[in-house]
Amino acid sequence: MAPTWDAIIIGGGHNGLVTAAYLARAGRKVLVLERRYRVGGAAVSEEIYPGFKFSVFSYVVSLLRPEIIRDLDLPRHGLEILPLESTVTPMDNGDYLAAWGDPDKTRREIYRHSPRDAEAMVEFGRLMHHMAQAVKPILGMIPPDPTSLSPRDLLGLLKLGRHFRSLGPEHVHALYKLMTMSSADYLDEWYETDVLKATKSASGIIGTFLGPRSPGTAYVLLHHYMGEIDGSFRAWGFAKGGTGAISESIAGAARRFGVEIRTDAPVTRVLLKRGRATGVVLENGEELRARTVVSSLDPHRTFLQLVGESELPDDFVSDIRRYKFRGSSGKVNLALDELPNFTCMPGVGPHLRGAISVSPSVDYLERAYDDAKYGEFSRQPYMDVIIPSMIDPHMAPPGKHVMSIFVQYAPYNVTGGWTDAKREAFGDTVVDTLARYAPNLKQAILHRQVITPADIERITGLTEGNIFQGELALHQLFFLRPAPGWAKYRTPIRRLYQCGSGTHPGGGIMGASGRLAALRILGDGR
Amino acid sequence: MTRDLIVIGGGVNGLVTAAYLAKAGIQVLVLEARSTPGGLAGTEEVMPGFRSDVAGLDAGWLLPDIADHLKLGAAGLELVVPEASVFSPLPDGRSLTLWTDPTRTAEEIARFSAEDASRWPAFTAQLARFARVLEAVYAVTPPRIPDARGRDFATLLGLGRRLRGLGKREMVEFLRVAPMSVAEWLDDWFDTDALKGAVGAGGVTRILQGPRSAGTAFVLLHHHVGRPAGAVRSAQLVKGGLGSLARVLADVAKGFGAEIRTAAPVREIVVRDGRAIGVALETGEHIAARRVVSSADPRRTMCGLVPAAHLDPEFVRAVNNIRFRGAVATVHLALAELPQFTSRPAEGALRGAITVAPSLDYLERAYDDAKYGGVSRQPFLEARIPTLLDPSLAPPRQHLMTVQVQYAPYHLRAGVWDAAARERIADSVVASLGNYAPNLRASVLARHVVIPKDLEERFGLTEGHPYHGEMTLDQIVFMRPVAGWARYRTPVKGLFLCGAGTHPGGGLAGAPGRNAARELLLKEGRR
Repeated sequence: MAPTWDAIIIGGGHNGLVTAAYLARAGRKVLVLERRYRVGGAAVSEEIYPGFKFSVFSYVVSLLRPEIIRDLDLPRHGLEILPLESTVTPMDNGDYLAAWGDPDKTRREIYRHSPRDAEAMVEFGRLMHHMAQAVKPILGMIPPDPTSLSPRDLLGLLKLGRHFRSLGPEHVHALYKLMTMSSADYLDEWYETDVLKATKSASGIIGTFLGPRSPGTAYVLLHHYMGEIDGSFRAWGFAKGGTGAISESIAGAARRFGVEIRTDAPVTRVLLKRGRATGVVLENGEELRARTVVSSLDPHRTFLQLVGESELPDDFVSDIRRYKFRGSSGKVNLALDELPNFTCMPGVGPHLRGAISVSPSVDYLERAYDDAKYGEFSRQPYMDVIIPSMIDPHMAPPGKHVMSIFVQYAPYNVTGGWTDAKREAFGDTVVDTLARYAPNLKQAILHRQVITPADIERITGLTEGNIFQGELALHQLFFLRPAPGWAKYRTPIRRLYQCGSGTHPGGGIMGASGRLAALRILGDGR
Repeated sequence: MTRDLIVIGGGVNGLVTAAYLAKAGIQVLVLEARSTPGGLAGTEEVMPGFRSDVAGLDAGWLLPDIADHLKLGAAGLELVVPEASVFSPLPDGRSLTLWTDPTRTAEEIARFSAEDASRWPAFTAQLARFARVLEAVYAVTPPRIPDARGRDFATLLGLGRRLRGLGKREMVEFLRVAPMSVAEWLDDWFDTDALKGAVGAGGVTRILQGPRSAGTAFVLLHHHVGRPAGAVRSAQLVKGGLGSLARVLADVAKGFGAEIRTAAPVREIVVRDGRAIGVALETGEHIAARRVVSSADPRRTMCGLVPAAHLDPEFVRAVNNIRFRGAVATVHLALAELPQFTSRPAEGALRGAITVAPSLDYLERAYDDAKYGGVSRQPFLEARIPTLLDPSLAPPRQHLMTVQVQYAPYHLRAGVWDAAARERIADSVVASLGNYAPNLRASVLARHVVIPKDLEERFGLTEGHPYHGEMTLDQIVFMRPVAGWARYRTPVKGLFLCGAGTHPGGGLAGAPGRNAARELLLKEGRR
């Protein structure tokens, strides 16, 4: 039977859609199959309570690759990114630490805490900027396999070597330190203000099961400097209409290139014929044939569930089995009757249009991690809070607001499992902790949606609820992601590819995995 | 008179450098601040009638080629590897012993889990393969990365071949494992908590990290360098105590013509026009030399002995950013009798380390306290009874026990290191070991506590770290002691480093000293 499609993409998250769009743009006939009723995966906006739109899971954007925005002409399909300019950290003594869009204002603010740190900030920012520039080409490259002697891999390694040489020793050493140090230690080399170090290191722990004092957390500091909205470094943004609007715009672009998208179409199996993928089977038994099958699901789902261990080499199966997810974060979405009133910065002000970071000290974050380490959710969690309705009023009915609270740590393997009671207790902890800084919060809550890692897994299919499709730890990056020898989007099954965040460079609403996978597929020919 | 070369510090590394250079005919003067050479490798009367190595260290592993080159055996050095590596008593009354003989260890593990026992040989084989790669890395002067030039290419090629020699799968495995946490690595292999605790303890040796911190798998690998394949966490002891190693090294160096002056503390490295021209002693005496090599740690050397005016502030900043963070105290116990462990250790089991690390969680919780600047309430302990090997260290029939206590951080945030804190540490050791050997409590005749601060004051070790800086991924190979200066040279011409603060670091007796000597000999044009 002749295949109906050139490519079938399993999963309509942002990476799956990016791959689909790039393939269709090159003239391929593409079908996207999404299990849920809508596309987006973990990047969806949903009206959970009438009139209130939540970015249910992921909530900010900074790393979406500019070439994708350009190539797919996403603004034309409704993508509009609004800047999220400030971060305010309430402190336990009633004071606060703020970072504003205007660097001079930020410097004055930091000066208030420490003149030395205000000075260090300039140099630190410059170094991070260089580091981000140094890493960018690596994010955009298909990882060469250091064990391979094929000309293509050797060339890749040579290119990588040249890249590092061109950076010069100083920057390579700084990069090496970033890769191997803990964010707390790294920041200790620069700053003295605890709350400043805490707020900066918080970005190093997102999506990991590590505390800020554990090595391997420093390099995520870079992510803050890699955001490239409209080409300007360091900006975080919020998509108008919520993160779902990003997925919708990519879907729109994909459709324009001729991609067909089917929702409510869960795939149960990849069809194989003599070690080669030939199509997929849907839950309703329907079989769909394609020359190429691409999975945007995480490596566990793709290989252990859709393909099956018996079809794969033993070594590969054991590599995939020990690939670590360890989901560690949850989310609380609130519908609010009124704006929160922060004690440290009373009233309505520009701070409510930015992020509020609950990270008063490095020890606070570390203690939050300790709880998770021994199987409990943090009694006093780290939280990254934004109020999308302040940036985009359409997210809530007039006069009302929505609040998005990213919470860490909430371990997937919580002792006793995630029951309904535990979920509510987790929600209470989050609200109670935040209410210490904004006492009116509790009475302002109209509705509350609490999402645990178990919920993330159940709803989006992300194994163990890991938002990055696998921890972004040093031993799971680059040519090791998701498994050594299979980091180039190919799989041991011919004509089966992977394009999700479980491949290099992974993580965040970046789309880079999806794009690189598409390039690899196109490079391999029909 | 201008000498060829002055070595500051007569510890193991200083003496090794001196011996290698003197052997090549260079005129060497070693200046040691204390009354005997040896530095930390000194055996002293810590309590009346009881002699012990003050910091209770094994010197780390002395690589065989150093012993060969310097003919240390002929000079009287006797190394002993006890057949038991680790004896780990457990809260449930059982115990686990790791033997140097992997078959025997596997039998021991089988009492806990047949499956773990069956994996032991493969695990130890992998550990050994990876350690062999590190050995190759440790034997060379770190190549310049990324600005490799000259000799570096040959070095890199050699190391690359070595790595490829592992085979495709193991090569990737090496790259994957090194940055992992030791807990995750061991979780990949084993189920038994007791086993993971006893082995995982080697992943946190002398660092202020817990077993769940990334990079601790490397630490375990580092401490396996030089060891026999199956002998996980084995130790090499010097007959007569570490002091004997220093004595033998001093004799050998002198035999080659080196001069060793004790009680000669250096106050300053004299620099003129950016070049070291000699040293000034505390007494005011000036000694001129063409080259000066310091075995003191990098911060003490560059920020203590070299006048600040001669250094670039960026370099000084990098040196000040080296993490030392001494984390281990030593408690010496004078015992009226041997401890009797209720778990009935097999013959010879107590000759290795007696380790209190019953699980990875236990280690992690010990670290948790230190993370917030406190001393572990339930510390990880590593005890040795040197009198089992050499009864002459104590009065007849009595014994000496030397216990490493981790974590006892140099920087306390909760409290201060006063007399009471020292007593508390000794109390916690006696209480903890007393749980497993009930007669211990009553048999303690005297106790002597050494905290990191003591090591700093008595031996000049910054923050009391015997390795001259933590062995973490960001402070090794081309980053040790600081990026750009990993080749034993310093920004001051004619001034070199040869201590544990340089590649390959602490825990490998004499290896930095030997590497430094090789660089110096190249400079001298002798090979």
